[in-house]
Amino acid sequence: MIGRMRTQTTEASKFLVDWMEHRTGIVTIMEHFLYEPVPKRGAWLYTLGSAVLFTITLQFLTGILLLFYYVPTTDHAWNSVSYIMTEAYFGQLIRGIHYWSANFLMAVIGLHMGQVFFSGGYKAPRELNWVVGVILLLLVIGLAFTGYLLRWDQDGFWASVVGMKIGSYSPFVGAYTINFLMGGDVAGPGTLSRFFALHVWLLPAAIAPLIGVHLYLLRRHGVFGSEFEYTERLAKLHERQRLEEYADYELDDDDENGRDGGGSRRE
Amino acid sequence: MAELQRDPITRSDFLGFGVLGAIMGAILTIPPVAFVLSPVIKTNILGQSDVDPGWVEVGSVAEVKENEPSVFQIEFPIDQAYGTKHIQEEVPESPRSLERFTIRNAVWVSWKAPIKTQGRQGSGGDELAAAERPAILDQKTEGFTQSEREEIMSKLNVLSNSCAHLGCPVRWFPDQKLFLCPCHGGLYDINGGYVGGPPPRGMYRYTQAEVREDGKLYVKHEYDAGPEHREKGPQEPYVV
Repeated sequence: MIGRMRTQTTEASKFLVDWMEHRTGIVTIMEHFLYEPVPKRGAWLYTLGSAVLFTITLQFLTGILLLFYYVPTTDHAWNSVSYIMTEAYFGQLIRGIHYWSANFLMAVIGLHMGQVFFSGGYKAPRELNWVVGVILLLLVIGLAFTGYLLRWDQDGFWASVVGMKIGSYSPFVGAYTINFLMGGDVAGPGTLSRFFALHVWLLPAAIAPLIGVHLYLLRRHGVFGSEFEYTERLAKLHERQRLEEYADYELDDDDENGRDGGGSRRE
Repeated sequence: MAELQRDPITRSDFLGFGVLGAIMGAILTIPPVAFVLSPVIKTNILGQSDVDPGWVEVGSVAEVKENEPSVFQIEFPIDQAYGTKHIQEEVPESPRSLERFTIRNAVWVSWKAPIKTQGRQGSGGDELAAAERPAILDQKTEGFTQSEREEIMSKLNVLSNSCAHLGCPVRWFPDQKLFLCPCHGGLYDINGGYVGGPPPRGMYRYTQAEVREDGKLYVKHEYDAGPEHREKGPQEPYVV
C-alpha cells in the first residue's frame, strides 16, 4: 500500500518536473545555476559570493516587511520605528535581521572581494565582473548611508549630517551634492523624503539588475580556479617545464662536447 | 556598418532624425531631471532658501552670565517639502499657513573676551582676557536706548552651535572653559575662536542679530560663511 503510494508520488512529481522542463527548461537552468565544480582546496571560500547574495536577499525581504509599518515623515519616522520595535509582532526580529544583516553584508562583501583579489579572480576574462562588483559595492554603501537617516534618531541624523558635509568638501560639485541630498539648504522633511526614495526605490532598483549581470558574467566564465581551468593550465605548465628540461639536456650535451663557459647557468 | 545599412541615409534624413531625436530626448529627460534637481536649482542657482528670512526671538541678553556662554533654543520656520508659499502669503491666518514646519537651532550667546594675543594656526588659540559684561545690564534688563543697544551688540558673541568641521552640535564645558564638538573633538574658546581639532576655522557667527527695546536678542538665519567670508575658512554655510 505504502509502496504503491510512493511509486505514484514519484511518477507524478517526475511527470510534473518533465512537463515544466519541456516548457520552460527550468531544470537545466537550475542545474546550471546551482551545480558548480569548485577546487577542493579552499572550497568554503567559494561560498562567500553566495553569502553576499543571501544577505542582500535578506535585506530585500525584511525591507519589504518593514515598509508595512515605517512612515517616512519627520513627525512619524522615529515613532513608527519605535512601534516596530515594541508593538508589532516579531518587529524586533524583522528589524534586527535588517539591521544586523546590513552590517554583516559589508563585512562579507569585504571578505568576498579579498578572496577574489588574492585568488586573482579579477584577471582576464573576468575584468568586467570585477568592475560590476565594484559598482555593486558602491550601491551597497549608498544603501547603508541612506538607511541610517531613516530612523530619524540622534545617531542616524548626525551621522548623515556628517556624511553629507563630508560630501560637501568634494571639489566643484560639493555644494550641489549636499543640496541635492538635503533637498534644500537645511536638513528637514525634504531630506528624509529623498533618503527614503533613494534607499527604498532607486538604489534597490539599480542593484537588482546589476546582481543579475554579475551572476550572468560569473556563469559565463565560471568561478576562477575551476577544475577545468586548473587542469588546462597545469598541463600547459608541465609541458613547458618538460620542454625546458629537454633544452637543458641538450645544453649539457653541448658542454660535454667541449664548449666551455655558461655551464653554471643552472644547478 | 555599411553592410547593415541597406538604404543609405540621406543628409536631410540624418538632420531630421537628429532634430527629432533632440526634441524627443529633451521632452523625456528635462522634466524628471528638473523635478529631482529642483532643490539644487533653487538653492545653488537661484539663491533661494527654505528658511523663513524673518527675525526670530532668542531671549533676554541680561540672562547671559559673565564668563559662561548661555544656550538658547530657537526655531526657524521652513517651507521645505511641506510649504506652499502662495497660500501663506494670500491667507496667512488659515490653519494650513500657520502650521509650518520648523528646524530647531541652538544659539550660544556670550560676552566677548578681549583678545590679548592673536593665536596662530597650531598655537592653541587666542590668549584671552576676562569677558566683559556691559555694566548697564545690572541696572535694567529692558528699555535700552539706541546707544546702549549698540554697546551691548558690540560686546556680544552670537554663535551657531553647528561645528565648523562637519556640523555636529558643540557644547560648552565649564571646567575646560571651551566649546567641544562631540563628533571629532573640535575645540573653540568663549568667543567661538578656533583652539584645536579638525575644524578649519572658528564657530559660525550670526551676521544678522539685534537687541531691541524689550532687552531681547533677535536673529536671522544668516551666518558668516560662504564666498564673501572666504578668509575664515574654505567652506559654504551648511548649517543645520
